Amino acid sequence: MDKLRLAITKGRLLDSSIEMLERMGYDCSALKNPGRKLLLNMGGLDVVLAKAPDVVTCVELGACALGIAGKDTIMEHGGSFYEVLDLGFGRCRFALAAPRGSDFFKGYKTRRVASKYPKVARDYFLTKNMDVSIIKIEGSVELAPILGLADGIVDIVESGNTLKANGLAIVEEICPVSARLIVNAAALKLYKSEIVGFIDRCREVLK
Amino acid sequence: MESYKVNTPEGTRDRFFAECEELRQIRGAMVGLFRQWGYREVITPALEYYDLFVKVGNPLPQEKLLKLSEHSGSILVLRPDCTTPVARVAATRLGDLPLPLRLYYDQTVFRAGAANAGKSFEIAQCGIELIGAAGLKADVEAVCMAVNVFKAVGARAFRIELGHSGFFLALASELGLGAEETERLRCCIAGKNLTLLAEQLKPCASPAANALMRMPWLFGGAEILGQAEALTKNKAALEALDYLRQIYCELDAAGLGRHISFDLGLVQDLDYYTGIIFRGYVEGAGGSVLAGGRYDGLSRSFGRELPSTGFAVYAEDLAACLKGGAFQDTEVVIYYESGCLSKALENLELLPEGSAELSHCATEAEALQSAREKGASSLLVVSKDGVREVRLNG
Repeated sequence: MDKLRLAITKGRLLDSSIEMLERMGYDCSALKNPGRKLLLNMGGLDVVLAKAPDVVTCVELGACALGIAGKDTIMEHGGSFYEVLDLGFGRCRFALAAPRGSDFFKGYKTRRVASKYPKVARDYFLTKNMDVSIIKIEGSVELAPILGLADGIVDIVESGNTLKANGLAIVEEICPVSARLIVNAAALKLYKSEIVGFIDRCREVLK
Repeated sequence: MESYKVNTPEGTRDRFFAECEELRQIRGAMVGLFRQWGYREVITPALEYYDLFVKVGNPLPQEKLLKLSEHSGSILVLRPDCTTPVARVAATRLGDLPLPLRLYYDQTVFRAGAANAGKSFEIAQCGIELIGAAGLKADVEAVCMAVNVFKAVGARAFRIELGHSGFFLALASELGLGAEETERLRCCIAGKNLTLLAEQLKPCASPAANALMRMPWLFGGAEILGQAEALTKNKAALEALDYLRQIYCELDAAGLGRHISFDLGLVQDLDYYTGIIFRGYVEGAGGSVLAGGRYDGLSRSFGRELPSTGFAVYAEDLAACLKGGAFQDTEVVIYYESGCLSKALENLELLPEGSAELSHCATEAEALQSAREKGASSLLVVSKDGVREVRLNG
């Protein structure tokens, strides 16, 4: 391996990821204006911009030694890699939400739950020993209860404003979510000093 | 569906030419090594009873098993691993052979995976089991052979990494946690998930908790063992470290020390492994291509106490990392006149394997044409008068 390759999640986590890399001393000008390029050279580091689940796939299969992905994606996608560091940014939480005023847990009817994260939703209701039917929704999940498509939703919640604007309220928080640094297992073993060095510098600037 | 006629099922694929050759080659090299060291082959059925794998505490979850049902209604699986069937055979049918048994296998295992994850459901595995052998020399033999597997197949940058189930279990038992909490700790350490590990260990402030907190980072060269020793006074944990050191010393004395590293955070499948655990890594593979360890408890399910150790190599993952020789294209086409088959075959056998083929054309002109299309560099014309070579340029 000539150079470490890091996969970064596009979107919500990108700005904070760039800020962290800059504080670590990398020149991120290429990353700020990537144009149409997806593989960027930043001195001692190659950076790949990808959608969240692809970051996890790239790291698991070893195409990238390192990756920055949200805990939400890691929980939904699964896979075998090392989750070495909580980067602290991109903080939000998984929550179950339902129309304000409704009692989600009341009654014996099988509840319908809409989510972008069907696995997270299924695992959550398994811990509650509840039998629910889960509908996978790709876009705005908040729409589902309004349209009568579902009794509640499982989604990541940052401020709670979107929920409020759509007449929803949190029923229960499931777990906190934040960005994580993940590492390919074989790469960590074969290039220990380079990768541990990178992790240490991350930890240093996050203090 | 129409497309079922021409496509293969999810997780399976066809393999061609160079890929087959490389796979055969490395399997051949491994089998040669196993036989050299006195191991003998067993072939077990591809189909076994579901219970065989589930009742013995196999670490594979049930959704990974490919199931069928027998005409009588019993549930069958396509074998998801080879160690369990080999242990079954050793404890039952081979029960009257003197110990230790040295057995090897070279067969396919089947594991269902997630869709579209780029992983094959059919996995070529070659491996050994050293059965009825306890103690250091048996473990040294298994690890030493694992190193030699990589040498035999011509791998350059590779590493065998050792861990020991006893180190984690000793420290965890000091905390006095329940089975479920211990399992959660194990998962954090196995996945090097430091955030969650710190959370789990927060309520237990003790030297053992400190040592567990350090475990994910206890990987690297032999110096790791010293660092780990400094972290604990737990007798069983120190014994595990001492055992690893003894193995290392034996291997180092044999000149293999530079291929050995350690990861005390290697705590996968602890219901299964009862002593050392090891993994083999090679440059170019995203995960380990060799996995093994000591599993003294397995044969108990078959009614015998047989301390055992062994490993399996994921032959295709390994082959993919080795720069194999280029696929041999057809260089020479041999056209022969009626009555000259044996002379044509004589010439074919003199040429390097895979570089020549017989032409079935009726005339020399047609043979010449077809040899050009194949990209061959010459055509041999074998007739009653002798052999003539026609050079084909470009």
